[in-house]
Amino acid sequence: MHTLPWFDVVGFWIGIFLTFAILSYLYKDNPFYKLAEHLFVGVSIGYVITQQYYNVIKPNLLERLAPAHWTDALRPSVYWIPLVLVALLFARMVSRRIAWLGRYPLAFVVALYAGIQINAVAESDLAEQITVSTRSPIVPKKDVNDPATTVRDLASLPGFTPAVAEKVVAARVAGRRYGSVDELADTPGLTSAQRQDLRDAIADFHGLAAQAAVEPGHHDGFAIASRIFLLIGLCASLVYFYFSAPQTGALGKVARFGVYVLMVGFGASFGSTVQGRLALAVGRAMDVLDKDKSPELAAQIHGPAVSIASIVVILVGIVVWEKVYLPRHPRP
Amino acid sequence: MAARNALLGFLERFDRRWIFLAMGLAIVLPLLYPLGLPADPSPMVKAVFYAIDDLPAGSTVLVSVDVDPASRPELEPFFHAAVRHLKKKGCKLVFLTLWYQAPPLVEHWIKDDVESASFPGDRPYRSGEDYVWLGFREGKAVVIAGIGQDLAATFNGQDAAGTPFAELPVLRGFARLADFPLIVLVSAGAPGAKEYVQLVQSRYNLKIVAASTAVSLTDLTPYYQSGQLLGLAGGMVDTAEYEILVARFLGLDPKEGVGAKALDVLNIGHLVVIFAIVLGNVIYFAGRRR
Repeated sequence: MHTLPWFDVVGFWIGIFLTFAILSYLYKDNPFYKLAEHLFVGVSIGYVITQQYYNVIKPNLLERLAPAHWTDALRPSVYWIPLVLVALLFARMVSRRIAWLGRYPLAFVVALYAGIQINAVAESDLAEQITVSTRSPIVPKKDVNDPATTVRDLASLPGFTPAVAEKVVAARVAGRRYGSVDELADTPGLTSAQRQDLRDAIADFHGLAAQAAVEPGHHDGFAIASRIFLLIGLCASLVYFYFSAPQTGALGKVARFGVYVLMVGFGASFGSTVQGRLALAVGRAMDVLDKDKSPELAAQIHGPAVSIASIVVILVGIVVWEKVYLPRHPRP
Repeated sequence: MAARNALLGFLERFDRRWIFLAMGLAIVLPLLYPLGLPADPSPMVKAVFYAIDDLPAGSTVLVSVDVDPASRPELEPFFHAAVRHLKKKGCKLVFLTLWYQAPPLVEHWIKDDVESASFPGDRPYRSGEDYVWLGFREGKAVVIAGIGQDLAATFNGQDAAGTPFAELPVLRGFARLADFPLIVLVSAGAPGAKEYVQLVQSRYNLKIVAASTAVSLTDLTPYYQSGQLLGLAGGMVDTAEYEILVARFLGLDPKEGVGAKALDVLNIGHLVVIFAIVLGNVIYFAGRRR
């Protein structure tokens, strides 16, 4: 059994206590909450400063400027440039008249990041996304019997993976001709999980049966509707941001539709945010209840017992603070 | 009418701390008494699984673990599941991070899952030969652009422990991002998956899968739809689904995973949130009508 060092166990206990100290804010602002809050801020700042010093300033600047001999101290080095730029940031603390010098290092950083980002964003966010958004709305089903349908084409189908696609292509090359999409699950060499994935994928109304066929000339109705809606929604959303004409009449109605499309997007973001915040609470709950630890670790930490003890200490503390301390030390 | 007004008056004076209590119970009770609600992995999550599963055995994979303590509940299960999946495939692993908060977490996770046997039939990985931890490098987007061109130059030619790259067999033949057959991103925000796609994916045509926090999911989904990300697992739900797929792959009990345990809680918690939203709207519209 892996035995935790005593300071690790105490660390877990402090974590549990501080969790409940933070949650005590739900009652009202109190000394336990303040303690946890100040600890959090202090530890965070201390950690950031040490990390930045040991990972950035020391290896990238100080060690490179450190002379091997005192006579080398003033030897020319390109690393004096960042030191000077950093020093310029503090110019305004010397005199307001030379405060403008601090703009040069900031301009350098802004220009550097702009240079890195402009091309990259134009390529990955604009070019790639516009390519996808403006694809032809006519989407034929992928003909699994067509020799021109490649492994890559098949791999994008629901229930498929590149490995499954390779087996389907191998079966086709060996002379197999599929009579229906359901027969894909009978392809030789598939594992039982892969067969099940294919059967599950057929059931969806926009699944395998909607996207694949065994003969040419069929179209994927869901994909066609989806691409048309995407294009209309994209254009309507852009119209909302067109300010060179009053948004009245037909233009106003299109812009209004664009707002609804944007609202759907914001709703999706809100839903994801809720899930993220809930995940934080779940994470803390699992930690204090030892649900994210192995039974061996949980037996050493006793999270639920420490949780109850923490709640009792905080409750008693808040009662004493309210009934004894506050009456004697009224707030201004 | 009087009864309705009294009810509305009560609802308007409703103390929001009851909602907190309801949410607290919705989180704690399913953890203590699991419901075992079903989970069906989504296509995006399956894509992550298959992108890793289709790697040739023994491939070397770069894992960028850009996390902080706040994102731990959402991303830690993914990290463990992905590492187990990759180890089962016999892959060698190169870890790095762009977040200064990450090193203590990642070093702990590496100790738990990489340096130890983490599933039946697994073996501990040896530093330098089977895996390497390059550590944290400050510079955010600049680091991503840098490792796209030269891994050694960006990390001063040494790993987190100070071992020169020349003495690390695991890095032989891997000088830049394009040399890796797959890049796995465990990404809590910026810099992370979005920056990798923007700065290096298109430029070097990289194969990337990502796990992100739920908050980032809507930003990253277009990259999955355009094929710039081969797979995407966003938030605790997707993470749990991937964990379930890996547990099945390893022959373990899917319900024993941390993410799987959290699924019940998320389902019940979301019901409480939906109830609170409906209640809030009822109070608002009823009050306005009155």
